[in-house]
Amino acid sequence: MDKLPWLGASVKRKEDDRLLRGSGRFLDDVEETLALHLAIGRCPYPHARIRRIDAARALELSGVETVLIGEQVVARTEPITVLRPFPGSAPTVFHGMAHGVARYEGEPVVAVAAVDRYVAEDALELIDVDYEPLPHVITVEDALRPGAPQLHATVPGNVVVESTVRAGEPDKRLADAAVTVDGTFRINRVSGAPIETRGVIARWAEDTSTLELWASTQTPHLLRAQLAHCLRMDETDVRVIAPDVGGAFGLKIGVYPEDIIAALLAIDTRRPVKWIEDRTEFFRGAAHAREAVHALTIGADRDGALLVLRDRYLIDLGAYHGPLGPPLLTSIMLAGPYRLHDAEIHRRVVLTNKVPMGAYRGYGQAESNYVREVLVDRLARRLGQDPADFRRRNLLRPDELPFKNVSGATYDSGDYARGLERALSRVGYETFRTRQKAWRQQGRHVGVGMSCYVEFTGYPSSAFLGRTGARFGAYESVTLRMDRAGRAALSTGVSTFGQGTETTFAQMAASLLGLDPVDVAIHRGDSQGTPYSVGGFASRTMIAGAGAIEKAAGQIRDKMLRIAGHILDVDPAALEATAGMIRRRDDPSVQVSIQRVSEAAFLGHPLPPGEDPGLEATAYFDPPSSAFGYGTVVAQVEVDARSGEFALQRYILVHDCGTQVNPMIVEGQVQGAVAQGIAAALFEELVYDRETGQLVNGTMVDYFMPTAADLPAFELDHLETPSPVTPFGIKGVGEGGTIAAAAAITNAVCDALAPFGVDLDRLPVTAESIWRALAGARAKG
Amino acid sequence: MPVVELTVNERAVRVDVPGQWTLIQLLRDGLGLLGTKEGCGEGSCGACTVLVDGRLTRACLALAVRADGARVTTIEGVGTDAALHPIQDAFVRHGAIQCGFCTPGLVITTKALLDEHPWPTDHDIREFLSGNFCRCAGYNLILNAVRDAAGVVTEKR
Ligand code: FES
Ligand code: FES
Repeated sequence: MDKLPWLGASVKRKEDDRLLRGSGRFLDDVEETLALHLAIGRCPYPHARIRRIDAARALELSGVETVLIGEQVVARTEPITVLRPFPGSAPTVFHGMAHGVARYEGEPVVAVAAVDRYVAEDALELIDVDYEPLPHVITVEDALRPGAPQLHATVPGNVVVESTVRAGEPDKRLADAAVTVDGTFRINRVSGAPIETRGVIARWAEDTSTLELWASTQTPHLLRAQLAHCLRMDETDVRVIAPDVGGAFGLKIGVYPEDIIAALLAIDTRRPVKWIEDRTEFFRGAAHAREAVHALTIGADRDGALLVLRDRYLIDLGAYHGPLGPPLLTSIMLAGPYRLHDAEIHRRVVLTNKVPMGAYRGYGQAESNYVREVLVDRLARRLGQDPADFRRRNLLRPDELPFKNVSGATYDSGDYARGLERALSRVGYETFRTRQKAWRQQGRHVGVGMSCYVEFTGYPSSAFLGRTGARFGAYESVTLRMDRAGRAALSTGVSTFGQGTETTFAQMAASLLGLDPVDVAIHRGDSQGTPYSVGGFASRTMIAGAGAIEKAAGQIRDKMLRIAGHILDVDPAALEATAGMIRRRDDPSVQVSIQRVSEAAFLGHPLPPGEDPGLEATAYFDPPSSAFGYGTVVAQVEVDARSGEFALQRYILVHDCGTQVNPMIVEGQVQGAVAQGIAAALFEELVYDRETGQLVNGTMVDYFMPTAADLPAFELDHLETPSPVTPFGIKGVGEGGTIAAAAAITNAVCDALAPFGVDLDRLPVTAESIWRALAGARAKG
Repeated sequence: MPVVELTVNERAVRVDVPGQWTLIQLLRDGLGLLGTKEGCGEGSCGACTVLVDGRLTRACLALAVRADGARVTTIEGVGTDAALHPIQDAFVRHGAIQCGFCTPGLVITTKALLDEHPWPTDHDIREFLSGNFCRCAGYNLILNAVRDAAGVVTEKR
């Protein structure tokens, strides 16, 4: 195929005009007349038996329509399914509302539908819930102790699943290794924290006897599937519509208890039921992410060849499986971009009385990158090698790809060392060590840290997902239709949550149909009128979507050429579609407009004999392989060795996401992901009090998200190695920026403080944690 | 029910306002101006930022009845049907919008900044914008857009 005209162009985003004018329509902007408003009573304890609920006084309050309690929900619904369970997991029965026992602070216990939110909240105050607090566990270590409170009868010992991945001969390599280092690392519990909270409007459509659910979701079709299952309905009788979504980041995948509650109340009352999450609820109801404890060992031979990796880690799942399930990519990507054949990875997914874990941008990959890259630096130091040299030696070379890593993932393409070198030269690494020495003599502690990653994007086929127990496919789909004016309408089940899909999909379709992107209208996010779709997550939409668009547009283009050939009396094989016209390749003056061809298809005349009217195609594309992006972060910090305070002076990321469909959108995705990566590395942590089991900092004031004043300018550089295994060589890009942040900054701080022998092993990295590490190192002498 | 008379985006309006309503409710529920967004309802995120008599105001905290006699500018009052305001245009060109939920508040904040400091320093810009969270775009692109709108040359390292 000729080069696609709009592929690689920084086309202005289609979404921007409406969003800038305040005309974007988010969940709270969806107008529903006569809606009831929902308020949800939540368990104030981390773990409690619900002995009795008395709602009599609430029901007497004027304006209250109805009250729903857990007993009813449990009787009328199925538990929430898990979209991507860890293979072999024991079930944690998670309903739309707690009945009998509530297992985390914030779990829904009772709900009120009333004429407005104020009345509904007042009514909650009138409901008597008799709780019997039960012993709770807040840390994974506590949850594993003999005699620890048990969260679920189905999960003995609070371990949902325990399994091991083994490759090669890890024990032998450990014994052989000249040098081994180990470390225990704690990864903080954080939240994706989109600026738009969750929200839902449920409506029973009397005319069609169907349920309509407007939801702030990144997966309309998967939400529909899960919701229908919970409600014991057929999917066909449920319609899910995602309006503009105000940020998602993995947190808005799948069905949540509130969706089920709103749906039941809409069915009962025959009125629309609306719920907008407030921020207090958000921190206690929307998925938390990342928290894990890793005990990692790596070893190398005397020359510094990486020989072996052994990890034993605990994932803190919270109180239930959320709708998606815990991350699988932690294990899959632990080996990173290195030549490593021998490993043992042992993982346990553990229950605690906290909000259920969900996905967050870089799911699993940010976790494994952090522990591995920090320990790689320690290993290099132990070997007396420069951390850059150690990585140079062990990074996979382009001629070693494709390479199957110890967990079975096959890296497709890339030049990992080139990314490292580019980032190092940007920071002036050649001369940095000399400068660093000079600064040290002046009492200044400046350090550079690096972190290399390879990133799993997209899924390697629906069959792969099926084999590993997932309840969704790897595909994406579109319906494309030409209208009589010669414009295209593209329908996709993917919703719009900031990723720019409306623009990039239009670019692809326009390129393949010979149109301008402005002539491609996008209909998105509505399960009705779009083909089955998986949705926007796992950096997969562009890869799978581009394949679907290629197929659908190809069918339409071929038909347009046949019709044009008929009109022009030319062999269709001699024609091409470009710039709104169908014309002869060798004589562009012989041409007919796409508008006229579309009109012929619409009128059914003039068409070649036997040709059906219409210009419309639906296509699915199931990617056969994942594509692997990669990159290196180099961070520079200066640390005050007395107070632990530090400044992040430079932040350099060189990355490769294959073919870029729209470089401006890629830049935005990377910028945003880097900001979130640094945020989780330096600022954010959801803290639970071990004694009371309460979330200590569940407000925007106490959960320190960075502002424009808190982050440095990032220095980004792109390499472009088209993937050999995906349509147009596209690799996913939405998540990569988060992955390497924590390790690069940790390594930079440890490098700055190398004379003190400081090791850091927990996130976030704060002045206090550095100060403590310094004090510890001094005490050790 | 109290009646509030005010000017919104250069238009005089009268609205019946329940006593507990905040300004954002007046705008959204009373006037159907849905461009102003609520991200937290507790004064933290800046998504609800509007101008009241030229001053930056968090519409989720301001009481609606207090707006009597005020001149309010919301995102709907920035730019025209025919053309975006130069601030909005700079946001487009710099890729400073992703999900767009924070965008109305950021555009209003930028307008206040440039009204007050036609030639803002980088410090002014960061200072002004530090009351608005954006979770998607990572700030640097937004800062570039604001610098551009202000005619300030992007600071280069
Ligand atoms: S909604 Fe007003 S500051 Fe967040
Ligand atoms: S663009 Fe999504 S929060 Fe700013």
